[in-house]
Amino acid sequence: MKNVSRNNKTKIIAFILAVIFITAVVLQIQYLVCTGREFESLFVEKYKDSNNFYFNHVLPARNKVMFLIENKEEIVQPPQDLEYYYYVSDGETVFTNVPEESRKLFDQYNQNLYDLENNNLILGENPEEGYLYHYADDKYTLFLAFPDEYLYSEQVDWENSRLTMMPYIAMMAACLVLALGLIVYLILVTGRKLGDDELHMGKIDKMYTEIQAFAFVSILGIWVSIGMDLFEHNSDLTYKLGLSQVYSLILYGIITVASITLMGLLFLSMVRKIKAKTFIKHSITYIIYFRIKDFLKSFFDGRRFERFPLTKALFYRQMVFIIVSGILVLLTFLFMLIPPLMFIPPVIEIAVIYWYVKYNNKTYEEINKGFDESLEEQMKSERMKVELITNVSHDLKTPLTSIISYIDLLSKEELSDTARDYVNILCEKSYRLKNIVSDLFDLAKSTSGDINLDMEKLDLKKLIEQTLGDMEDEIESSGLQIKTRLPEEPVYIISDGKKLYRVFQNLIDNALKYSLKGTRVYIELEEVDGKAVTTIKNVAGYEMDFTAEEILQRFTRGDKSRSTEGSGLGLSIAESFTKVCGGSFKLDIDGDLFKVTMKFKTER
Amino acid sequence: MDHATILVVDDDKEIANAIEKLLTLEGYRVIKAYNGLEALDALVANNIQLILLDVMMPKLDGLSTTLKIREKKNIPIIILSAKSEDSDKILGLTMGADDYVTKPFNPQELVARVKSQLRRYMYLGDMRNSISSSQLIVGGLSLDRETKEFKVDGVPVKLTPTEFKIMELLMSNPGIVFSAEKIYEKVWQEEAYSVENTVMVHIRRIREKIEINPKEPKYLKVVWGIGYKIEKC
Repeated sequence: MKNVSRNNKTKIIAFILAVIFITAVVLQIQYLVCTGREFESLFVEKYKDSNNFYFNHVLPARNKVMFLIENKEEIVQPPQDLEYYYYVSDGETVFTNVPEESRKLFDQYNQNLYDLENNNLILGENPEEGYLYHYADDKYTLFLAFPDEYLYSEQVDWENSRLTMMPYIAMMAACLVLALGLIVYLILVTGRKLGDDELHMGKIDKMYTEIQAFAFVSILGIWVSIGMDLFEHNSDLTYKLGLSQVYSLILYGIITVASITLMGLLFLSMVRKIKAKTFIKHSITYIIYFRIKDFLKSFFDGRRFERFPLTKALFYRQMVFIIVSGILVLLTFLFMLIPPLMFIPPVIEIAVIYWYVKYNNKTYEEINKGFDESLEEQMKSERMKVELITNVSHDLKTPLTSIISYIDLLSKEELSDTARDYVNILCEKSYRLKNIVSDLFDLAKSTSGDINLDMEKLDLKKLIEQTLGDMEDEIESSGLQIKTRLPEEPVYIISDGKKLYRVFQNLIDNALKYSLKGTRVYIELEEVDGKAVTTIKNVAGYEMDFTAEEILQRFTRGDKSRSTEGSGLGLSIAESFTKVCGGSFKLDIDGDLFKVTMKFKTER
Repeated sequence: MDHATILVVDDDKEIANAIEKLLTLEGYRVIKAYNGLEALDALVANNIQLILLDVMMPKLDGLSTTLKIREKKNIPIIILSAKSEDSDKILGLTMGADDYVTKPFNPQELVARVKSQLRRYMYLGDMRNSISSSQLIVGGLSLDRETKEFKVDGVPVKLTPTEFKIMELLMSNPGIVFSAEKIYEKVWQEEAYSVENTVMVHIRRIREKIEINPKEPKYLKVVWGIGYKIEKC
């Protein structure tokens, strides 16, 4: 079925047939018009009821009679020999072509003629066929009557016209039905092709919708107006065509075929567009509307500020929004003078607000996403760094083991004094390297968060005292005094004791190493608002030309003048361990005062 | 003791050679193996008194090797590993190792640990058969309440009376944590007031006497922020 219906040949044949049928209908109408048939006779049975009669006979008669009475001074003899009877009076003068007794009949109806249905008046012998027209206003009284004989002959012609038209009408109806069927078929299959269910557009479809519609209407107008003008009404009642009319019909047939073909093509193209849902989109109006909308929108959806960073684009969008809104407010006031345009600025403003909110949200989401991504990236790189450090520290340990072992073996050999000095230096440095690797590893583990913690309830006061006891020798040999101010009661916190010991050991070690000789190191612990606050303060024995941030940066040695002992990671480890143990770590450098404050949540 | 045979297992040949040299200088006989499987073979072929075992080795790693050895033999195993975390140490000791030394190690400390393990294995074994009621033994530590003698791996160590009392208290309750106050009250027989430092200093002194590496004590441990204990061995 589809094979046939979607075949191009079938479609072309259907199109041609449709054109022929429509042309046939048109030409038949034209023929009937040419030959003077009255189409009204098809619908109105009685001639006297027809508009044809009213307009072609009654009205001219009335006008003529009215002309008589209005120009009564000039009328010498009112016409007598007419196809109708008349009586007209302005109250003074009376014109009529009716004998005296008949005129009384008019007079008789003077008062109540209006009430008579269809304005019919019996005149003469045949009440059925007679026609009386009465016209009256303040000044004039007018009666018209068409006699039976006259109306009878007209009625015969009327019926004759109808009878001779009937076969044509039947033909036209048949043609019209066929044409309509073909048009419906063409509407259904247009754009479809054999083999697929896609919609295929033709070259004509590239015309914009308005141009198509305009062309369609223009052709229709030209065609119809030619159809109106080309033919003269044939007034004789032989129903025969004159030679010139035959030519006109042939010419009009050609014009009709051409017009219908063009209109058909345009029509089907528009049908295809409707099917493809491009009828509106493929119009000049829509394209202009879309361009303008797109232009405005481009300020908001980020296209215009693509090359800027998101936050900058956000800023520009805000600026555009403010400016556009301002302009629109001005326009609103301006357009108040032109009421139909008054609604345009608010509508645009709504669209602008919609875009502004929508794309702002989108930008925020993007910023958020970027933020999350960079955070994840940062965490990932942190993890990778930690992994790297872990691996490297493992890889460092193996050769270091050999180095330390062989240096030890070397020191057991017979050596000159110089060589022994060298070996001692090697020994010392290799142990320092060992400490660095070990610290590096600890730090990497704790900063990665991948560290095993052994959290338990412990007394921070006790831990500080234990650490001081453990480091008594170092403290004594440093020549510094440690001043402690600890509470009487235990200060319980939940933490990892071993890690915290490392923290205090590193901090006290640091204080002992870098304090000015003869000064005191202050270690204080107090409980403030559920927090155990520990401070370690000392006065540096050198100028601290670095900030707290710098010294805490991993692998940075804040000051080059510092001694070359240790790994330089002590403070970083203390900070990192404090944090993994659940505390906060703050370092203040105030002149020569070096102060570390740690806070832990206390436990009842 | 001078003729003890030690099996050194490490896939890094230089390290194995260095350890061999170190131990040979101390008068031990050394057999080397470069992975776990070779170690097991060497163990069958020789009369070995102690094993130094690396963890990360091809074919059969140190921990698996330890498990295999422990199926048959009770000889001391010292694990040598670059893995330095507590969890690694605990795992190694749980698998049946007697000691755990992290790389890079101090050669003197390694030698000391070897000696200590050998002493315990070769001499203390006999002693364990004749424990008197007055003796307290925890791992390689032994304390005699009557003779007031204190020995680490069979070697006498001189402790002051206070130190001796502290050890007596802790060793009679191995694994139990004592606070400084409690230790003070029991040892000094006085009311404890601000004694943390005093006790800690004593603990540190004892450690220096009985531990091979006082920084990484094996027996006498500080439980930071809580107290002190003798590790249950």
